[in-house]
Amino acid sequence: MKKSFIAFWRKNLAFSELAIVTNLEYRFNFFIDAFIQPIITVMIELLLWIAIFKSTESLEIGGFSREHYLAYGIWAPFIGRITISWMYESMMVEEVASGAINVVLTRPISFYEYYLSQLLGYKLVTTSLSLLVPLGLSLFFDLPIQFDRIPLALLLVVYYLFLVHTLSFIISTFAFFLTRVRSLTLVKNLSLFLLAGEIVPIDLMPPLLAKILLILPFSAGVYVPVAYITGRVEASMISDSFLSVSISILVFCFIGHYLWNKGLRAYTGTGA
Amino acid sequence: MSFVIETENLSRVYKTYSKKEGIVNSIKGFWNREYTEKQALKNVNLKIESGKIIGLIGSNGAGKTTLLKILAGLIYPSTGSARVLGFEPWKRDYEFLRQMSLLLGQKNQLWWDISARDSYSMLAKIYDLDSIAAKKRVNELADMLGCTSVLDTQLRRLSLGERMKMEIIGALLHSPKVLFLDEPTIGLDILAQAAIRAFLQRYVKEFKPVVILTSHYMDDIAQLADQLLLISKGELVYNGTVDEFTGTSDLSRKIIYRYKNDIEEKSLVFQESELSFRLDEILKNGDVAELKIEEVDFEEVIHRFLAKESRF
Repeated sequence: MKKSFIAFWRKNLAFSELAIVTNLEYRFNFFIDAFIQPIITVMIELLLWIAIFKSTESLEIGGFSREHYLAYGIWAPFIGRITISWMYESMMVEEVASGAINVVLTRPISFYEYYLSQLLGYKLVTTSLSLLVPLGLSLFFDLPIQFDRIPLALLLVVYYLFLVHTLSFIISTFAFFLTRVRSLTLVKNLSLFLLAGEIVPIDLMPPLLAKILLILPFSAGVYVPVAYITGRVEASMISDSFLSVSISILVFCFIGHYLWNKGLRAYTGTGA
Repeated sequence: MSFVIETENLSRVYKTYSKKEGIVNSIKGFWNREYTEKQALKNVNLKIESGKIIGLIGSNGAGKTTLLKILAGLIYPSTGSARVLGFEPWKRDYEFLRQMSLLLGQKNQLWWDISARDSYSMLAKIYDLDSIAAKKRVNELADMLGCTSVLDTQLRRLSLGERMKMEIIGALLHSPKVLFLDEPTIGLDILAQAAIRAFLQRYVKEFKPVVILTSHYMDDIAQLADQLLLISKGELVYNGTVDEFTGTSDLSRKIIYRYKNDIEEKSLVFQESELSFRLDEILKNGDVAELKIEEVDFEEVIHRFLAKESRF
């Protein structure tokens, strides 16, 4: 038992290490993903909120000042980058569609674990570097950030990554049947973008819609952690999100497991 | 006697979308698709003991890769049963996967962006091997294959031959009891082919795994295989030794000759009993400058067999 536990960690840490080593080989891609993408989104968000406050007489919207929205606009894109797995999802889909998955299927590895560990390893490196940007900006502009709340918020974000990965796993199983599923990935990512509250804080949405979005687990991807850091919500919202994400992981894992088994039955070992 | 690989009436049917030519048919196919079924494997029965190299031969689309894929656990059969090392391969039990290896000559099994040595360290963790013992084994295998100098080079920067050697080390690192090799020498020059053949011979002699080998180079099969499996249209049409197969062929002699005014040699394959008749025929048609009679080799017999099979 102890031996298999050690073997499990040894193997999964190796996968994480693989992701780190591989991604650091390609510095340009790493730099774009960790910094340029979120910085561009931050610029869009800041321009949006500055324009909104310029065009209104009021000093507050929904009970929060311009600085609160600027803080949201700076943190949301960076947290949003952590909770997106487009790169690993496209790799998973490509592996299934091209038959490169044969390497995983003929070794004592779980496809789910293999990519989850890589995703976590990669995110650890990108996050620890890219988060320096919103931290620095928040300190420099003296934005209303509750720094003591950051660890719990990040814990929720990391936990949410398990859900994100499970969704990617489900999408990749579709490649067994449909081969090309890029459009599905795009629709899923756009939906998550909206449901997570990355562009507009969920509390600004119509009350019924906001209520539904807060019940769904996806708000844990951006809105809840950022709103918690910027003082828009309290700790009870974080615990609700942990619960909702846990239930969703169970449900989606069940669906993923079913589709995976169906997919393997349909698989023809493409390319071998 | 216990067998390492056993199959009974193993069959596999593929269902494929049949798309007719042109844009109109593409539009029609958007809502109304026609599917066709292809029997890739039909009632294959096999029993293979340990310590043997099995040569699996068939023309393109004959079903040999499908058989390998089922035995390696990559795909499910449509009907029938198979057991490899006592496991149903497609259930992909970790205990089974730890004892076998699949090497696809046209695909990378190692990680493209890191060095082979880093890949082996990763494999040692995947197979839960002792890291010091694994390093020692890598060095031994690299010595045997003569490729120690490139172990630290990123895989994508290696030549095809070097990469294949790296892949072979990766496939053997965990000492598999069953090894599936699909075209392990494809695209390699003669020297690299010979090196890999010599290595495999030595390895099997020493470690006694079962090796199932497919190759388009008949020299690979002729020199390595203890047992020959011939597959045609999904059916196993021959299961025996290479010598027996060559012996059963009705074409056993070959005359190689050149007429005085010709530059190129010609050859004629025939039955042993036809020798006088064939010689007369050749001599009647011109002045012969060179002539030799040889036994038909394995490659010739196989080529003729495959050509005959692909005609029907």
